[in-house]
Amino acid sequence: MKRLLIAPVLASVVLGALAVPAFSQEEDGIFPFETRTFELDNGLKAYLVDAGAPGMLAYVSVVRTGARDEVEEGVTGFAHFFEHMMFRGTEKYPNYDGVTESFGAARNANTSQDRTFYYLVAGSEYLEQIVDLEADRFQNLSYEETEFRTEAGAVLGEYQNSAASSFSVLDRAVRERIFTAHTYRHQTIGFEADVRVMPEQYDYSRSFFERFYRPENVVLMVVGDFDFDNAEALIREHYSGWEPGYETPAVPTEPEQTEPREGAVTYQGGTLPLLTINYMAPAWNPTDRIAVATELLGGLAFGQNSDIYRKLVVEERRLQFLQGGFALSRDADFVQILCMVAEPDDVAAVKEELLAEVERFKTELVDAQKLADTKSAARYGFLMRLETPLGVANSVSRVIVNTGTLDPINDYYRTLETITPEDLREAARQVLAANGRTTVTLTQAES
Amino acid sequence: MTTRRRLPLGIAILLTALTVAYVPAPEESIPGTVTLREEGSPFVAFNIWVKAGSQNDPEGKEGLASLAANLLSDGGTQQHTYQEIVAKLYPMATGYGVSVDKEMTNFRGTVHTDNLEGFYDLLRNALLSPAFGESDFERVKAQTMNFLERGRRYNRDEELSKELLYWMAYQGTPYEHPEEGYVESVRSITLDDVRSFYERYYTRDAIVVGVGGGYPEGFVERVRTDFDARPEGTASNVPAPQPAAPDGLKVLIVEKQTDASAISFGFPTSLVRGGDEFYAMKLVNSWMGEHRSSFSNLYQVIREKRGMNYGNYSYIEAFPRGYTTQNRPVNAMRRSNLFEVWIRPISLTEPGNLHTRTLFATRAAMRELLVLVENGLAEDQIERTQGFLHDFSLNYGSTGSRRLAFAIDDEFYGLEGDDAYLAAIRPELAKLDKAGVDNAIRSHLGAQGMYMVFITADAEAFRDLLLSGETTPITYAGNQPPEILAEDEEISTFPIPVRPEDITIMDISEVFETGR
Repeated sequence: MKRLLIAPVLASVVLGALAVPAFSQEEDGIFPFETRTFELDNGLKAYLVDAGAPGMLAYVSVVRTGARDEVEEGVTGFAHFFEHMMFRGTEKYPNYDGVTESFGAARNANTSQDRTFYYLVAGSEYLEQIVDLEADRFQNLSYEETEFRTEAGAVLGEYQNSAASSFSVLDRAVRERIFTAHTYRHQTIGFEADVRVMPEQYDYSRSFFERFYRPENVVLMVVGDFDFDNAEALIREHYSGWEPGYETPAVPTEPEQTEPREGAVTYQGGTLPLLTINYMAPAWNPTDRIAVATELLGGLAFGQNSDIYRKLVVEERRLQFLQGGFALSRDADFVQILCMVAEPDDVAAVKEELLAEVERFKTELVDAQKLADTKSAARYGFLMRLETPLGVANSVSRVIVNTGTLDPINDYYRTLETITPEDLREAARQVLAANGRTTVTLTQAES
Repeated sequence: MTTRRRLPLGIAILLTALTVAYVPAPEESIPGTVTLREEGSPFVAFNIWVKAGSQNDPEGKEGLASLAANLLSDGGTQQHTYQEIVAKLYPMATGYGVSVDKEMTNFRGTVHTDNLEGFYDLLRNALLSPAFGESDFERVKAQTMNFLERGRRYNRDEELSKELLYWMAYQGTPYEHPEEGYVESVRSITLDDVRSFYERYYTRDAIVVGVGGGYPEGFVERVRTDFDARPEGTASNVPAPQPAAPDGLKVLIVEKQTDASAISFGFPTSLVRGGDEFYAMKLVNSWMGEHRSSFSNLYQVIREKRGMNYGNYSYIEAFPRGYTTQNRPVNAMRRSNLFEVWIRPISLTEPGNLHTRTLFATRAAMRELLVLVENGLAEDQIERTQGFLHDFSLNYGSTGSRRLAFAIDDEFYGLEGDDAYLAAIRPELAKLDKAGVDNAIRSHLGAQGMYMVFITADAEAFRDLLLSGETTPITYAGNQPPEILAEDEEISTFPIPVRPEDITIMDISEVFETGR
């Protein structure tokens, strides 16, 4: 999966290469759980989901702001940094950690390019306290500059946890070659130089909170074993006073790529060569057949069950691994074929084989059984993630992130079921076009 | 509005099952099985436990148990090629994988009840009729060699520092080598080695069949009968390791080009799950350094107040690959454990201060340990941690697969009924009092010696700084309150009494190259 590369910040999010169908209010929806939806006057939406899990619940706040929204110079990584500050307390609850400790909650948050995801998993008896605590911090977060500066040090430490890995180095190189304007140019953790000056950005952090942590930009999900009426009453009571005021950031549009790009980067540690072929792809869209077919194509054409995987990884053993990560994002983003080459001299030949395979999908039609198996994998992949309340929330969060609601998921699922071999071929022709291609290799530096 | 929706034909029945709370169904236990039937669950979890692990690796073939298990998990069978297996698993959106620890090898997989038969056929064949194909072997071995030669050394210093800590503490015992082996030992492994390891250790009495979830009546009997086809075993038990308590501090410094230091330290204890004072020390450890929890003491001191790194935790049981998970690992049970402190990478904040900061963080953690041993825990600290764990431990068994794995782990230690881990945590914690807790602290954490691993740049300069005993003060990006600055004085001068002959320096390129 492409998102493997940004794992440092994406602790637990589920954005698989395969499509994730989910929930809607319609009769033929795939989402299996009893659900209630409501929206407050200030624009806050809430989804209450009865997902079994006796005595437990997951309380999730999705903020539709991520690294994508870091449009100003010098503040890359800020959405993620701000996620850390959200644990620094309020006047009412100065010790957020201590309060959640008293619930025995498993709680954390993670940030990706398109959103920030906060969760607590705890016993259902704590619902009232959790609503109070969470509503309070999203409205009344309060921290001193000293705490802010201290926390910036923790973010630098987090950067260092994984920044030195070859995959992280490659991901930075790929983004910088693909994007010239759009904020997907930087990793969620941010550029190192920006991370190092974070302690100076206290004033900016306050404006970040004022502009983005607003009810119109946040969606709540409560999943598990609890009383809907009680939960709705609590949410209305604690969140209705939250004033709207979201300011849409001016995320730059990426100019259309007009010719193939090539790049190479060296790595100071020991590594076999990494080769990645990337293509600019459209934004996620539940009713666009090309967009949905593209997501299926990644696993089908370059995943573990693909013809080229069998040839290069299993039979000829020229690759250590191969994967196709074709999950789409809120804005137009790249999709990625990634492999590790066993012999450094073989990189050019492997690249030709992969490009030939890309061309083959533009001319030949995919086997009907393979397409059916891919749809089955999407369906069961979705079901298999619904075992826990947090798994349910993670499984559907992508739809919320991309659209602000859960409703389009049925459209997405219907589209997916009707994808034909011709759609896949058309997706390959449109998306895997040479002019939108960026190839980057990472090799070990000469010592 | 509240709706309960109808579903597309074909998946309606399985999905509605999800809305029902699963009912654990007691059943007659069959010898050689661990079962956790949950009627109504749409999933079936498998956990095939082979009672062998890296402790069974022959000398010079370290890594064999791991390589053998990975070949079974990622290779073909007499019935199907590897690629045919992949194709059959693909529409089920599942698979099986394996974990190999010192003493345990566990093949795990979860499948939707729809696909139970097809999945079980593949899993059974993988374990009972492996093909041992040359091509599969070469592929899996090449992937392992790449991990040993490059991935382990260059991708995650913090995980490597922990593996090195275990390597230091268990010298001369079957726990000494990392489960994946050394570069040279794995290079020497042949397909015949794998075959003979399989024949020797994958025997019917050494295999416990674990099945959980919504499987049909009679299913477990069938699975057990299948596995009874394996011959009886002749392998003798490996005695539990008796690691020596270190005499003073033993330090390993690994030289690597880096802007951040990885730090691990610890020492052997006599603690095992369910044994004497285990729950008292579980409480103590949770207060001191609960994994990924921000309210624990080490985290508060080093990260929350000082912003030095991403997190700081402690452990009384092995916790492999902790960076990948918030929840505690399963199937890594051992008869000997370390008390272990993991200080996540400490970065330089300006050129030249990497070593000062590295030592400051180490001193801070060592000082907290000393304070804990001297003072014990206060009543309110005990009460708070009891309350936390009472609720937090509900998260341990969040999925059917995890509940089953915990049951397997109970079987490892012979814990049954009320003594089973997930059942015992709450009542055992409730029994604890200050005297018992403080006793446990003194008897398990009072060691004078410990092992320490640092992965950092310019190892010789770091060694010199360590030996000099110099103070290692740090500075902050912001103003700190006087009480923090006063405490910093004590931390920055906290003694680390180490002798020159107890410090070893190693280059990253030599790490785990060979056994000795």
